[in-house]
Amino acid sequence: MATRYVIVGASLSGATAAITLREEGADGTVTLIGAEHESPYERPPLSKAYLRGEVPFDKALVRPAAFYAEHGIETMLGTRVTRIDPSARFVELEDHRRVPFDTLLIATGGRNRRVSIPGGDLEGIYGLRTVRDADRMREEMVAGRRVVVVGMGFIGSEVAASLRQKGLNVVAIDPSKTPLFRVLGEAVGQTIADLHRAHGVRTIFEDTVAAFEGTRRVNAVVTKGGLRLECDLVVVGIGIEPAVDMLDGSGIVVDNGVVVDEYCETNVTGVYAAGDVANHYHPIFDRRIRVEHWQNAIKQGAAAARNMLGKRVVYDEIHWFWSDQYDANLQYAGFHTKWEELVVRGRLDSASYLACYVNDGRIDAAVGLNRAKDVRRVMPLIKSRRAVDLEQLRDEGVDLRSLHTSP
Amino acid sequence: MATEFVTAIKTNDIPAGGITAVDVRGTRVAVTNVGGTYYAFDDACTHEQCSLAEEGEMSGTTLTCMCHGSEFDVRTGKVLAPPATVPVKVYPVRVEGDALQIEV
Repeated sequence: MATRYVIVGASLSGATAAITLREEGADGTVTLIGAEHESPYERPPLSKAYLRGEVPFDKALVRPAAFYAEHGIETMLGTRVTRIDPSARFVELEDHRRVPFDTLLIATGGRNRRVSIPGGDLEGIYGLRTVRDADRMREEMVAGRRVVVVGMGFIGSEVAASLRQKGLNVVAIDPSKTPLFRVLGEAVGQTIADLHRAHGVRTIFEDTVAAFEGTRRVNAVVTKGGLRLECDLVVVGIGIEPAVDMLDGSGIVVDNGVVVDEYCETNVTGVYAAGDVANHYHPIFDRRIRVEHWQNAIKQGAAAARNMLGKRVVYDEIHWFWSDQYDANLQYAGFHTKWEELVVRGRLDSASYLACYVNDGRIDAAVGLNRAKDVRRVMPLIKSRRAVDLEQLRDEGVDLRSLHTSP
Repeated sequence: MATEFVTAIKTNDIPAGGITAVDVRGTRVAVTNVGGTYYAFDDACTHEQCSLAEEGEMSGTTLTCMCHGSEFDVRTGKVLAPPATVPVKVYPVRVEGDALQIEV
């Protein structure tokens, strides 16, 4: 009997998996089920060009809407999966219909973390995850209005930049010492704080929101530090949590997302996960990593599809992402949580640098500001896991492609 | 509108594997040299308009825009890797003596 491939999550990762299944000769049915109503789309423009109204939604589509039917991919959009039963081999929908599968991919992504802060349900407070979120925010983006951006991770930072670019007045608040502190650390984070301040953002760090004030609609944010920030709207970007509630009672192991091995497979044979929701074992870093970025969504979706076809492909991509803020292009590659040494090519107080997070002489990760080529060139060094000559790494005269490494 | 070949640059000024941008009748065109064969294409990446002469890198006939990782085949303009979805426009070229001419 032909295999029934079912993908839960009509996301970038899920859609890429469906496309890969077809491109690589899946024999059987491919069904892509997604809670959102739109044809699968990419999220990076939602905080940038699409939010600013510079590109139409069509440009964000993974493929034109007609592509899926033309390529034998059945889509069930606006359809939420509420339960997965891996032993009886079906997923259950909101209306209790069941969709049987032989091989399953979970690509449900994440949902925005909620704030349990007084006044958090007032009107005028926005999160950003879906195109509908972006559309609602766009209607509020009138030059001169005052916005408080809560959280200066990647989404908060990009939204703050887009809001400034549209002429709104922006105050940004984050509990850390700098934007992007958790990933990039203080020294690099400080350069991003400077970037935002140079573009007119008022930044408030090491403080958090105590309450949102207003009667029906938010009109001020009060901080624990005692500030009262009057505003016309609020954008909250405090991260996502993996969307795993449909897995309750399924026996599929969940720990900071769906736990999968280097073949994108869960503890249940024939059930896979990819994208933001997948906490995957990474053989190069010898640990599990969950990544919430565009490149991982695509590459892991494709890798999962190949494994669903029985090809046994190890997923060991060096994670990479970009973040465009104002006219600055920030890129990160690799993986790190801590570092012994931050080795910088160029100067952190300049408009262009590469900063490498080094442990035991090895580059675990690197971040570049307006240094796209260097970020690309450092990726093979990250992947090699070899110690590099740190003096050469610092030396702008040395091409990263010719850096000496230990054997 | 009729097109014609316009002298754009000396071939000596396009190092092998390098990418150079030239203005050809008001159009910003990038040219590259792949082992002695020249290719010309729009300098602006179709994804976010990064300059391909500045941010592009060649590997064989594959052009990678380092801004966001899009890849193109410079022979046809075809997209080889996202995030770009729209092919980059390519221009016919010919060598006349020591000059590269581009049809615009």
